Amino acid sequence: MIIYLLVVLIFFIGLYGIVAKKNIIKIIVGINIVGYAINLLFIVLGYKWEGMAPVLTREVEVSEFYRRAVDPLPQALVLTSIVIDLAFLAFLSALAIRLYEKYATFDMDKIRRLRG
Amino acid sequence: MNLIVMPVVIYLGASFLVPLLFRRDGEKACLAACLFTILGLAVSVLLAVRVFPGGRLITYAGGWENPMGIALMADGLSVLFLLVTNLVSLLVLLFSATYMKRYTGTVNFYVLVLLMLAGMNGVLVSMDIWNIFVFFEIASLASFVLVAFGLGAEEMEASLRYTVMGFLSSVFILFAMAMIYGLTGTLNIPDFAREVSCLPQSHLWFIVSLFIAGFGLKMALVPFHSWLPDAHSTAPAPVSALLSGIFVKVIGFYCVMRISLNVFGHVAQVKTVLLLLGSLSMVVGGVMAYGQKNIKRMFAYSTISQLGYCAIGIGIGGYLGCLGALMHFIGHAFSKSLLFLSAGAVEYMEGTSESEDLRGINDRMPFTTLVSNLGMFGIAGVPPLGNFWSKLIIILAAVGAGYTGIALLCILVAVLTLSYFLRLLRTAYYSRTEGKKEKREVPVSMLAPMFALGAVVLLTGLLLLPPVRSIILDGAVRVMKDFSYRDLSVSVIAE
Amino acid sequence: MEKGMSEIVKGVSKMVFPFIMLFGTSLVLYGHLSPGGGFSGGVVLAGGFVLLLLAFGKEHVFDIFPRRVAEALDSLGAAGFLAIAVLGFAGGHFFYNFLDKGRLFHLWSAGTMVFCNIMIGIKIGSALFLAISMLSMSRLVHTKDGVEYRQSGEDE
Repeated sequence: MIIYLLVVLIFFIGLYGIVAKKNIIKIIVGINIVGYAINLLFIVLGYKWEGMAPVLTREVEVSEFYRRAVDPLPQALVLTSIVIDLAFLAFLSALAIRLYEKYATFDMDKIRRLRG
Repeated sequence: MNLIVMPVVIYLGASFLVPLLFRRDGEKACLAACLFTILGLAVSVLLAVRVFPGGRLITYAGGWENPMGIALMADGLSVLFLLVTNLVSLLVLLFSATYMKRYTGTVNFYVLVLLMLAGMNGVLVSMDIWNIFVFFEIASLASFVLVAFGLGAEEMEASLRYTVMGFLSSVFILFAMAMIYGLTGTLNIPDFAREVSCLPQSHLWFIVSLFIAGFGLKMALVPFHSWLPDAHSTAPAPVSALLSGIFVKVIGFYCVMRISLNVFGHVAQVKTVLLLLGSLSMVVGGVMAYGQKNIKRMFAYSTISQLGYCAIGIGIGGYLGCLGALMHFIGHAFSKSLLFLSAGAVEYMEGTSESEDLRGINDRMPFTTLVSNLGMFGIAGVPPLGNFWSKLIIILAAVGAGYTGIALLCILVAVLTLSYFLRLLRTAYYSRTEGKKEKREVPVSMLAPMFALGAVVLLTGLLLLPPVRSIILDGAVRVMKDFSYRDLSVSVIAE
Repeated sequence: MEKGMSEIVKGVSKMVFPFIMLFGTSLVLYGHLSPGGGFSGGVVLAGGFVLLLLAFGKEHVFDIFPRRVAEALDSLGAAGFLAIAVLGFAGGHFFYNFLDKGRLFHLWSAGTMVFCNIMIGIKIGSALFLAISMLSMSRLVHTKDGVEYRQSGEDE
């Protein structure tokens, strides 16, 4: 149970970064932390203590396999989610660089031409 | 051949082939994009022919059946959305052939639009929640880049805010999915829809609220709307038309509808939340739109307001509510993309979209003014057009279900909508100008798609005629009203 | 002026680079049998080129892996993956594994999976390399008046 609390803690640290920080780079870091909190949640859901790789060979008994094999699906899902996070990271950092070019600052409060 | 996967395959293939073949030639890329979109439209028509008489098509990727395979489904509702999506995007792509000539790197524009279309079509045909999420992300990422396409300071600022909000929405959905997977052990929608009713109430509410927060962020329901006006008003006109016309509806409205109506069933609390958020966004969007000086920004706020009607429609439920929401979606998709295109045409010739700097557009651009009128009246709901009937139906449904207050609000916001559009017409389009009146109309290649969209807007009112309605709308309404994923038996394989 | 980092870094990078490529390729090819796969292998492949980029500077890397080639491979990998999926219609289903499955735990044991992994490896490798090299295109230059933004490498 304590590990789920860890996930929630990491999630809220990242959320704090997104909501409270003004620096774009810190916001990007916050975004990544939030993403990894969710990834960790997925991994924890599929984890088993003293688990084994979910490969059924002749040496492994089926009952043993059911008891110990970890769930491979969350890991595949996390891989997809990491790719999506990577795309977000690449796009946001490119955007941050370009914004610096225009506004000469990373401060979200100063990047404020749109209103209403 | 398997028809259901074809929309996704066509658009994904197009978005990989176009940069490979025409790396620098924007015109050829545009031609190819239009051809592929016509192909997508043809496929959705074929799907419609097979699905509209009733029933649904289901297929499994790789031939792996239910517990293992990824399921894809097309029923009346998703095919209706497919038709609207592909038709609007075809006309918008035709418009952008001329409009995008002002920008550099137009090949990238078409590639991104095709990727966004692939994502949207994928969301519409998926029956696996993870698959929906992945396509949702493809479409969203493409839209973030498209908003920043002009590389102006405002565009990138809007894109940054939009991206951060979009990330939050995807995190909420991912969280909900992790909860579902942890509690039920499956991500296949029919399977977890069956399991979901056995879950404890507290867990269920947590999941539902995460989903509504996630998809509601994309649908720009009011507490989550702050990104929409920036993103939709600064993007290039064809992008605004795509985002406002179909993107928010496919990614937001359709997913909210599927989750709240077909997965969790018609639960009273979800409906209350939708009614509340819907009325709130209807009123706030309308009031904010009234105060806007920039044409595109006003249209963006009006999108929020009109999406409120859709949310109210599904919140009321029943035959009338669902029919109203669906018709409102169709009418608004065509009229709002038409409006954004016409705003783009004005910006193209006049160089600005601030309504204070624009005087007497009618003297210079009579045809653009004509289609703008059509779009504005289409959204405001002037009688023969589709959105008049949809608003009427939603109001009738609200009265019938006993929500008299909401019906009154709907009427008030409809009047408000008409008033801000009329004010815009008076100040910007029909005001008198001094000096000579030279004609500076946009080229025919931009006018023709706008007139085509205008013709479709004129035709939307006909959807309610009984023979047309029973063919096109009734199947979709039946899906919204009665269908539940948990009734889908485990071993259904059509085709 | 000498481009890139010091001689030691350059020498070590040059030595390590072939092994990184080898490791990446093996991750891609054996993805269906052991941990790894197209994505991880592709990231390692891209990492090799990024190492060269850091050690030698952009010009050198773009000499051995031109941008046009990277862009073409990027699209080609994705299109090839889709083509494999569509070829599945030969067996009646989208993504159908229509090839012979071979012997268990050998390289040829998973039908189309190997080709899927190769395509993903190509796609990810070139796309990630492109993304990182694009991000390193622009840099901030400190001048007397403060910080100035400069775009380098105008080869487009």
